[in-house]
Amino acid sequence: MKEKRKKVVVLACSGIGKVYGALARETAYELVEKVRPKITKLICLPLLVIGDPEARRMVTANPVITIDGCPKSCAHKSAESQGARIARSYQAINFYKAHKELKPEGIAELNDLGQRLAEVSAIELGGIVDVLVAEEED
Amino acid sequence: MDIQITKVGIISCSGEDLPEGTLSRIACRKVLDELRPGDTVTICLPLFIAGGQEERDFASKFPTITVDGCEKRCAQISTERISGKPSRSLLIPEILEKRGLAAPKRLRHLGQEEKEAAQAVAEEIAKAVDEILEE
Amino acid sequence: MVEFLEIGYDKFIFKVKVDYLYSREGFWAHIDKNTARIGLTDFLQKSKGDVAFLETVNPGTVVKQGQEIGKIETIKSVFDIISVVTGRIVEVNPEVENKSYLINEDPYGSGWIYRVELTDLESDKAGLLGAEDYVELIKEVVAQEMKKK
Repeated sequence: MKEKRKKVVVLACSGIGKVYGALARETAYELVEKVRPKITKLICLPLLVIGDPEARRMVTANPVITIDGCPKSCAHKSAESQGARIARSYQAINFYKAHKELKPEGIAELNDLGQRLAEVSAIELGGIVDVLVAEEED
Repeated sequence: MDIQITKVGIISCSGEDLPEGTLSRIACRKVLDELRPGDTVTICLPLFIAGGQEERDFASKFPTITVDGCEKRCAQISTERISGKPSRSLLIPEILEKRGLAAPKRLRHLGQEEKEAAQAVAEEIAKAVDEILEE
Repeated sequence: MVEFLEIGYDKFIFKVKVDYLYSREGFWAHIDKNTARIGLTDFLQKSKGDVAFLETVNPGTVVKQGQEIGKIETIKSVFDIISVVTGRIVEVNPEVENKSYLINEDPYGSGWIYRVELTDLESDKAGLLGAEDYVELIKEVVAQEMKKK
Protein backbone atom coordinates (compact mmCIF):
# COMPACT_ATOMS: atom_id res chain seq x y z
CA MET A 1 0.00 0.00 0.00
CA LYS A 2 1.29 3.44 -0.88
CA GLU A 3 2.20 5.56 2.10
CA LYS A 4 -0.08 8.52 2.64
CA ARG A 5 1.50 11.69 1.27
CA LYS A 6 2.69 14.21 3.78
CA LYS A 7 1.12 17.62 3.83
CA VAL A 8 2.52 21.01 4.57
CA VAL A 9 0.75 22.47 7.57
CA VAL A 10 -0.02 26.19 7.49
CA LEU A 11 -0.43 28.14 10.69
CA ALA A 12 -1.60 31.73 10.35
CA CYS A 13 -1.90 34.59 12.79
CA SER A 14 -5.29 34.69 14.49
CA GLY A 15 -5.26 38.32 15.52
CA ILE A 16 -8.36 40.39 14.92
CA GLY A 17 -6.89 43.82 15.49
CA LYS A 18 -4.48 44.41 12.65
CA VAL A 19 -4.52 44.40 8.89
CA TYR A 20 -1.43 42.21 8.71
CA GLY A 21 -3.24 39.56 10.73
CA ALA A 22 -5.99 39.60 8.12
CA LEU A 23 -3.35 39.49 5.38
CA ALA A 24 -1.64 36.52 7.03
CA ARG A 25 -4.90 34.62 7.20
CA GLU A 26 -6.05 35.53 3.72
CA THR A 27 -2.70 34.42 2.30
CA ALA A 28 -3.07 31.14 4.15
CA TYR A 29 -6.59 30.66 2.77
CA GLU A 30 -5.42 31.39 -0.77
CA LEU A 31 -2.59 28.92 -0.39
CA VAL A 32 -4.69 26.15 1.12
CA GLU A 33 -7.88 26.61 -0.88
CA LYS A 34 -6.59 27.64 -4.30
CA VAL A 35 -2.86 27.49 -4.83
CA ARG A 36 -1.91 24.12 -3.31
CA PRO A 37 -5.17 22.64 -1.98
CA LYS A 38 -4.20 18.98 -2.00
CA ILE A 39 -0.86 19.21 -0.28
CA THR A 40 -1.49 21.81 2.40
CA LYS A 41 -3.55 21.80 5.55
CA LEU A 42 -4.64 24.74 7.66
CA ILE A 43 -4.82 24.26 11.41
CA CYS A 44 -6.49 26.54 13.93
CA LEU A 45 -3.74 28.27 15.85
CA PRO A 46 -5.66 28.49 19.18
CA LEU A 47 -6.43 24.80 18.96
CA LEU A 48 -2.74 24.04 18.72
CA VAL A 49 -1.97 26.45 21.49
CA ILE A 50 -4.33 24.75 23.93
CA GLY A 51 -2.56 21.49 23.16
CA ASP A 52 -5.15 19.65 21.06
CA PRO A 53 -3.60 16.20 20.42
CA GLU A 54 -4.60 15.99 16.75
CA ALA A 55 -3.34 19.50 15.98
CA ARG A 56 -0.12 18.66 17.75
CA ARG A 57 0.29 15.42 15.85
CA MET A 58 -0.14 17.26 12.56
CA VAL A 59 2.54 19.87 13.29
CA THR A 60 5.05 17.36 14.58
CA ALA A 61 4.57 14.88 11.73
CA ASN A 62 4.56 17.38 8.85
CA PRO A 63 6.59 20.40 7.79
CA VAL A 64 5.01 23.64 8.97
CA ILE A 65 4.82 27.12 7.47
CA THR A 66 3.93 29.90 9.89
CA ILE A 67 2.58 33.27 8.75
CA ASP A 68 2.49 35.95 11.41
CA GLY A 69 0.73 39.27 11.48
CA CYS A 70 2.94 41.14 13.92
CA PRO A 71 6.40 40.92 15.47
CA LYS A 72 4.97 39.12 18.50
CA SER A 73 5.02 36.10 16.17
CA CYS A 74 2.35 34.05 17.94
CA ALA A 75 2.11 31.50 15.15
CA HIS A 76 5.84 30.87 15.05
CA LYS A 77 6.31 30.85 18.82
CA SER A 78 3.26 28.69 19.47
CA ALA A 79 4.35 26.17 16.86
CA GLU A 80 7.82 26.14 18.36
CA SER A 81 6.49 25.57 21.87
CA GLN A 82 4.49 22.57 20.65
CA GLY A 83 7.55 20.99 19.08
CA ALA A 84 6.39 21.63 15.53
CA ARG A 85 8.63 20.96 12.54
CA ILE A 86 8.82 24.58 11.43
CA ALA A 87 10.13 24.68 7.87
CA ARG A 88 9.55 28.35 7.04
CA SER A 89 8.32 31.39 8.98
CA TYR A 90 6.95 34.57 7.44
CA GLN A 91 5.83 37.99 8.60
CA ALA A 92 2.89 39.24 6.54
CA ILE A 93 4.28 42.79 6.62
CA ASN A 94 7.13 41.53 4.42
CA PHE A 95 4.63 40.49 1.74
CA TYR A 96 3.63 44.15 1.56
CA LYS A 97 7.26 45.29 1.59
CA ALA A 98 7.86 43.07 -1.43
CA HIS A 99 4.83 44.47 -3.29
CA LYS A 100 4.50 48.07 -2.20
CA GLU A 101 1.94 48.80 -4.91
CA LEU A 102 -0.53 46.48 -3.16
CA LYS A 103 -1.38 48.26 0.08
CA PRO A 104 -3.64 46.14 2.25
CA GLU A 105 -6.42 47.76 4.26
CA GLY A 106 -9.25 46.40 6.37
CA ILE A 107 -9.26 44.09 9.35
CA ALA A 108 -12.36 41.92 9.16
CA GLU A 109 -12.10 41.81 5.37
CA LEU A 110 -9.23 42.97 3.19
CA ASN A 111 -9.66 45.57 0.47
CA ASP A 112 -9.13 44.59 -3.18
CA LEU A 113 -5.43 45.45 -3.14
CA GLY A 114 -4.96 43.44 0.03
CA GLN A 115 -6.79 40.53 -1.53
CA ARG A 116 -4.53 40.74 -4.57
CA LEU A 117 -1.48 40.89 -2.31
CA ALA A 118 -2.67 37.72 -0.55
CA GLU A 119 -3.08 35.99 -3.90
CA VAL A 120 0.39 37.01 -5.10
CA SER A 121 2.00 36.04 -1.80
CA ALA A 122 0.21 32.68 -1.74
CA ILE A 123 1.49 31.91 -5.24
CA GLU A 124 5.01 32.66 -4.03
CA LEU A 125 4.49 30.40 -1.02
CA GLY A 126 3.16 27.71 -3.35
CA GLY A 127 6.69 27.32 -4.71
CA ILE A 128 7.99 26.86 -1.19
CA VAL A 129 5.35 24.22 -0.51
CA ASP A 130 6.54 22.29 -3.57
CA VAL A 131 10.10 22.37 -2.29
CA LEU A 132 9.04 21.14 1.13
CA VAL A 133 6.94 18.33 -0.30
CA ALA A 134 9.79 17.27 -2.58
CA GLU A 135 12.13 17.19 0.42
CA GLU A 136 9.67 14.97 2.27
CA GLU A 137 9.47 12.55 -0.62
CA ASP A 138 13.25 12.26 -1.04
CA MET B 1 -0.89 54.52 36.87
CA ASP B 2 -3.93 53.75 34.77
CA ILE B 3 -6.63 55.64 32.99
CA GLN B 4 -9.53 53.68 34.46
CA ILE B 5 -12.65 53.08 32.46
CA THR B 6 -14.49 49.81 32.70
CA LYS B 7 -14.40 48.06 29.41
CA VAL B 8 -15.26 44.53 28.47
CA GLY B 9 -12.63 42.35 26.83
CA ILE B 10 -13.88 40.12 24.05
CA ILE B 11 -11.83 37.00 23.55
CA SER B 12 -12.81 35.43 20.30
CA CYS B 13 -12.23 32.04 18.78
CA SER B 14 -10.19 32.74 15.75
CA GLY B 15 -10.23 29.27 14.32
CA GLU B 16 -8.69 29.67 10.91
CA ASP B 17 -9.85 26.23 9.85
CA LEU B 18 -13.42 26.69 10.98
CA PRO B 19 -16.18 28.80 9.35
CA GLU B 20 -17.48 29.62 12.82
CA GLY B 21 -14.04 31.07 13.59
CA THR B 22 -14.42 33.51 10.74
CA LEU B 23 -17.95 34.31 11.86
CA SER B 24 -16.69 34.93 15.37
CA ARG B 25 -13.93 37.29 14.22
CA ILE B 26 -16.31 39.28 12.07
CA ALA B 27 -18.97 39.47 14.79
CA CYS B 28 -16.41 40.61 17.37
CA ARG B 29 -15.07 43.32 15.07
CA LYS B 30 -18.63 44.46 14.50
CA VAL B 31 -19.15 44.85 18.23
CA LEU B 32 -15.85 46.69 18.63
CA ASP B 33 -16.24 48.98 15.62
CA GLU B 34 -19.99 49.50 15.34
CA LEU B 35 -22.18 48.22 18.16
CA ARG B 36 -20.24 49.01 21.36
CA PRO B 37 -17.09 50.88 20.29
CA GLY B 38 -16.46 52.71 23.55
CA ASP B 39 -17.15 49.77 25.81
CA THR B 40 -15.14 46.93 24.35
CA VAL B 41 -11.62 45.78 23.62
CA THR B 42 -10.69 42.70 21.62
CA ILE B 43 -8.06 40.39 22.97
CA CYS B 44 -5.93 38.38 20.58
CA LEU B 45 -6.40 34.80 21.74
CA PRO B 46 -3.05 33.23 20.77
CA LEU B 47 -1.17 36.23 22.16
CA PHE B 48 -3.21 36.00 25.35
CA ILE B 49 -2.38 32.32 25.68
CA ALA B 50 1.24 32.81 24.71
CA GLY B 51 1.75 35.28 27.55
CA GLY B 52 1.01 38.71 26.05
CA GLN B 53 1.41 40.96 29.08
CA GLU B 54 -1.05 43.64 28.00
CA GLU B 55 -3.74 41.07 27.16
CA ARG B 56 -3.28 39.24 30.44
CA ASP B 57 -3.21 42.38 32.55
CA PHE B 58 -6.41 43.56 30.94
CA ALA B 59 -8.21 40.25 31.38
CA SER B 60 -7.22 40.07 35.03
CA LYS B 61 -8.61 43.54 35.77
CA PHE B 62 -11.67 43.76 33.56
CA PRO B 63 -14.67 41.55 32.74
CA THR B 64 -14.36 39.29 29.72
CA ILE B 65 -16.65 37.58 27.25
CA THR B 66 -15.42 34.53 25.39
CA VAL B 67 -16.89 33.69 22.01
CA ASP B 68 -16.18 30.18 20.79
CA GLY B 69 -16.77 28.65 17.40
CA CYS B 70 -16.88 25.01 18.38
CA GLU B 71 -17.20 22.67 21.33
CA LYS B 72 -13.43 22.64 21.84
CA ARG B 73 -14.01 26.08 23.43
CA CYS B 74 -10.42 27.28 23.06
CA ALA B 75 -11.26 30.82 24.15
CA GLN B 76 -13.23 29.83 27.24
CA ILE B 77 -10.80 27.15 28.40
CA SER B 78 -7.78 29.40 27.92
CA THR B 79 -9.40 32.30 29.73
CA GLU B 80 -10.38 30.10 32.66
CA ARG B 81 -6.82 28.86 32.90
CA ILE B 82 -5.19 32.25 32.65
CA SER B 83 -7.41 34.91 34.17
CA GLY B 84 -10.34 33.12 35.76
CA LYS B 85 -13.91 32.51 34.78
CA PRO B 86 -15.13 34.79 32.02
CA SER B 87 -18.18 36.94 32.80
CA ARG B 88 -19.99 35.32 29.87
CA SER B 89 -19.11 32.42 27.60
CA LEU B 90 -20.88 32.34 24.26
CA LEU B 91 -20.88 29.49 21.79
CA ILE B 92 -21.69 30.31 18.19
CA PRO B 93 -23.56 27.08 17.32
CA GLU B 94 -25.85 27.71 20.31
CA ILE B 95 -26.53 31.29 19.25
CA LEU B 96 -27.29 30.25 15.70
CA GLU B 97 -29.58 27.46 16.86
CA LYS B 98 -31.43 29.80 19.20
CA ARG B 99 -31.93 32.26 16.36
CA GLY B 100 -32.88 29.59 13.84
CA LEU B 101 -29.91 30.38 11.62
CA ALA B 102 -27.85 27.96 9.56
CA ALA B 103 -24.23 27.17 10.36
CA PRO B 104 -21.75 29.05 8.17
CA LYS B 105 -20.03 27.11 5.41
CA ARG B 106 -17.30 29.39 4.13
CA LEU B 107 -13.98 30.22 5.69
CA ARG B 108 -13.95 33.65 4.07
CA HIS B 109 -15.91 36.00 1.82
CA LEU B 110 -19.13 35.41 3.69
CA GLY B 111 -22.41 35.14 1.80
CA GLN B 112 -25.59 36.98 2.69
CA GLU B 113 -26.85 34.29 5.05
CA GLU B 114 -23.52 34.16 6.83
CA LYS B 115 -23.43 37.94 7.14
CA GLU B 116 -26.81 37.80 8.81
CA ALA B 117 -25.49 35.13 11.14
CA ALA B 118 -22.50 37.36 11.99
CA GLN B 119 -24.89 40.21 12.74
CA ALA B 120 -26.93 37.96 15.03
CA VAL B 121 -23.83 36.83 16.90
CA ALA B 122 -22.66 40.45 17.19
CA GLU B 123 -26.01 41.43 18.69
CA GLU B 124 -25.77 38.64 21.27
CA ILE B 125 -22.27 39.77 22.23
CA ALA B 126 -23.44 43.39 22.52
CA LYS B 127 -26.31 42.25 24.74
CA ALA B 128 -23.85 40.44 26.98
CA VAL B 129 -21.66 43.57 27.11
CA ASP B 130 -24.63 45.65 28.25
CA GLU B 131 -25.57 43.13 30.92
CA ILE B 132 -22.05 43.06 32.30
CA LEU B 133 -21.75 46.83 32.40
CA GLU B 134 -25.07 47.09 34.21
CA GLU B 135 -24.09 44.54 36.88
CA MET C 1 15.58 52.16 40.33
CA VAL C 2 12.46 52.23 38.21
CA GLU C 3 13.35 52.01 34.53
CA PHE C 4 9.97 52.89 33.08
CA LEU C 5 6.89 54.83 34.03
CA GLU C 6 3.83 53.00 32.79
CA ILE C 7 0.41 54.22 31.92
CA GLY C 8 -2.40 51.78 31.20
CA TYR C 9 -5.34 52.48 28.96
CA ASP C 10 -7.65 49.82 27.52
CA LYS C 11 -5.48 46.80 27.05
CA PHE C 12 -2.47 48.95 26.25
CA ILE C 13 0.42 49.75 28.54
CA PHE C 14 2.46 52.74 27.38
CA LYS C 15 5.99 52.79 28.71
CA VAL C 16 8.00 55.95 29.25
CA LYS C 17 11.71 55.54 29.95
CA VAL C 18 12.61 57.57 33.00
CA ASP C 19 15.98 59.00 32.03
CA TYR C 20 15.09 60.09 28.50
CA LEU C 21 13.87 63.44 27.22
CA TYR C 22 10.75 63.75 25.08
CA SER C 23 9.29 65.97 22.41
CA ARG C 24 5.58 66.70 22.26
CA GLU C 25 5.52 64.93 18.86
CA GLY C 26 6.39 61.61 20.50
CA PHE C 27 10.11 61.24 19.93
CA TRP C 28 12.75 60.66 22.58
CA ALA C 29 16.39 61.63 23.05
CA HIS C 30 18.86 59.81 25.24
CA ILE C 31 21.77 62.09 25.94
CA ASP C 32 25.20 60.57 26.40
CA LYS C 33 27.95 63.22 26.77
CA ASN C 34 27.91 65.18 23.52
CA THR C 35 25.69 62.85 21.48
CA ALA C 36 22.08 61.76 21.66
CA ARG C 37 20.27 58.77 20.33
CA ILE C 38 16.78 59.46 19.14
CA GLY C 39 13.76 57.33 18.35
CA LEU C 40 9.99 56.94 18.69
CA THR C 41 8.25 56.64 22.03
CA ASP C 42 6.27 53.56 22.92
CA PHE C 43 3.12 55.68 22.84
CA LEU C 44 3.81 56.94 19.32
CA GLN C 45 4.71 53.53 17.93
CA LYS C 46 1.62 51.93 19.44
CA SER C 47 -0.58 54.75 18.17
CA LYS C 48 0.78 54.49 14.64
CA GLY C 49 1.05 50.71 14.32
CA ASP C 50 3.60 48.40 12.76
CA VAL C 51 6.32 50.16 10.77
CA ALA C 52 6.49 49.02 7.17
CA PHE C 53 8.92 51.51 5.63
CA LEU C 54 11.50 53.87 6.98
CA GLU C 55 13.16 56.69 5.03
CA THR C 56 16.15 58.28 6.68
CA VAL C 57 18.54 61.14 5.90
CA ASN C 58 22.26 60.51 5.55
CA PRO C 59 24.89 60.78 8.27
CA GLY C 60 26.49 64.20 8.13
CA THR C 61 23.16 65.99 7.77
CA VAL C 62 22.96 69.04 9.99
CA VAL C 63 19.63 69.23 11.80
CA LYS C 64 17.72 71.59 14.05
CA GLN C 65 15.34 70.66 16.80
CA GLY C 66 11.87 70.31 15.27
CA GLN C 67 13.19 69.66 11.77
CA GLU C 68 11.92 66.79 9.62
CA ILE C 69 14.60 64.12 9.25
CA GLY C 70 12.86 61.29 7.48
CA LYS C 71 9.57 59.50 7.12
CA ILE C 72 7.93 56.43 8.53
CA GLU C 73 5.13 54.52 6.89
CA THR C 74 2.90 52.30 8.94
CA ILE C 75 -0.28 50.66 7.81
CA LYS C 76 -2.22 53.55 9.33
CA SER C 77 -0.30 56.56 8.07
CA VAL C 78 2.87 58.17 6.77
CA PHE C 79 4.46 60.62 9.20
CA ASP C 80 7.64 62.64 9.59
CA ILE C 81 10.47 61.83 11.94
CA ILE C 82 11.04 65.06 13.82
CA SER C 83 14.44 65.76 15.28
CA VAL C 84 14.40 66.12 19.04
CA VAL C 85 17.75 67.90 19.13
CA THR C 86 20.03 70.25 17.20
CA GLY C 87 23.32 69.00 15.80
CA ARG C 88 24.76 66.72 13.14
CA ILE C 89 23.63 63.19 12.43
CA VAL C 90 26.59 60.88 12.89
CA GLU C 91 24.90 57.51 12.56
CA VAL C 92 21.73 55.90 11.28
CA ASN C 93 20.91 52.68 13.10
CA PRO C 94 21.98 50.06 10.54
CA GLU C 95 19.80 47.41 12.17
CA VAL C 96 16.60 49.35 12.01
CA GLU C 97 16.94 50.12 8.31
CA ASN C 98 16.45 46.43 7.48
CA LYS C 99 14.48 45.42 10.54
CA SER C 100 11.93 48.17 10.92
CA TYR C 101 9.96 46.00 13.36
CA LEU C 102 12.57 46.85 16.00
CA ILE C 103 10.94 50.28 16.26
CA ASN C 104 7.79 48.52 17.46
CA GLU C 105 9.46 45.76 19.43
CA ASP C 106 12.03 47.75 21.33
CA PRO C 107 11.35 51.46 20.78
CA TYR C 108 13.71 52.74 23.49
CA GLY C 109 16.47 50.22 22.82
CA SER C 110 17.44 48.49 19.59
CA GLY C 111 14.74 50.44 17.74
CA TRP C 112 16.64 53.75 17.97
CA ILE C 113 16.91 55.61 14.66
CA TYR C 114 19.68 58.25 14.73
CA ARG C 115 22.70 59.22 16.76
CA VAL C 116 23.23 62.96 16.69
CA GLU C 117 26.27 64.99 17.74
CA LEU C 118 24.84 67.78 19.86
CA THR C 119 25.65 71.42 19.27
CA ASP C 120 23.05 73.25 21.36
CA LEU C 121 21.98 70.97 24.19
CA GLU C 122 20.90 73.67 26.63
CA SER C 123 18.46 75.19 24.13
CA ASP C 124 17.29 71.70 23.15
CA LYS C 125 16.46 70.87 26.75
CA ALA C 126 14.25 73.92 27.04
CA GLY C 127 11.99 72.48 24.34
CA LEU C 128 11.75 68.98 25.76
CA LEU C 129 9.80 67.18 28.48
CA GLY C 130 10.99 64.89 31.25
CA ALA C 131 9.40 61.46 31.66
CA GLU C 132 6.77 62.56 34.19
CA ASP C 133 5.67 65.49 32.05
CA TYR C 134 5.51 63.23 29.02
CA VAL C 135 3.22 60.87 30.94
CA GLU C 136 0.94 63.83 31.64
CA LEU C 137 0.95 64.63 27.94
CA ILE C 138 -0.05 61.06 27.08
CA LYS C 139 -2.93 61.33 29.54
CA GLU C 140 -4.12 64.51 27.85
CA VAL C 141 -3.94 62.95 24.41
CA VAL C 142 -5.79 59.83 25.57
CA ALA C 143 -8.46 61.97 27.26
CA GLN C 144 -8.97 63.89 24.01
CA GLU C 145 -9.28 60.63 22.07
CA MET C 146 -11.83 59.35 24.58
CA LYS C 147 -13.90 62.50 24.15
CA LYS C 148 -13.93 61.97 20.39
CA LYS C 149 -15.29 58.45 20.91
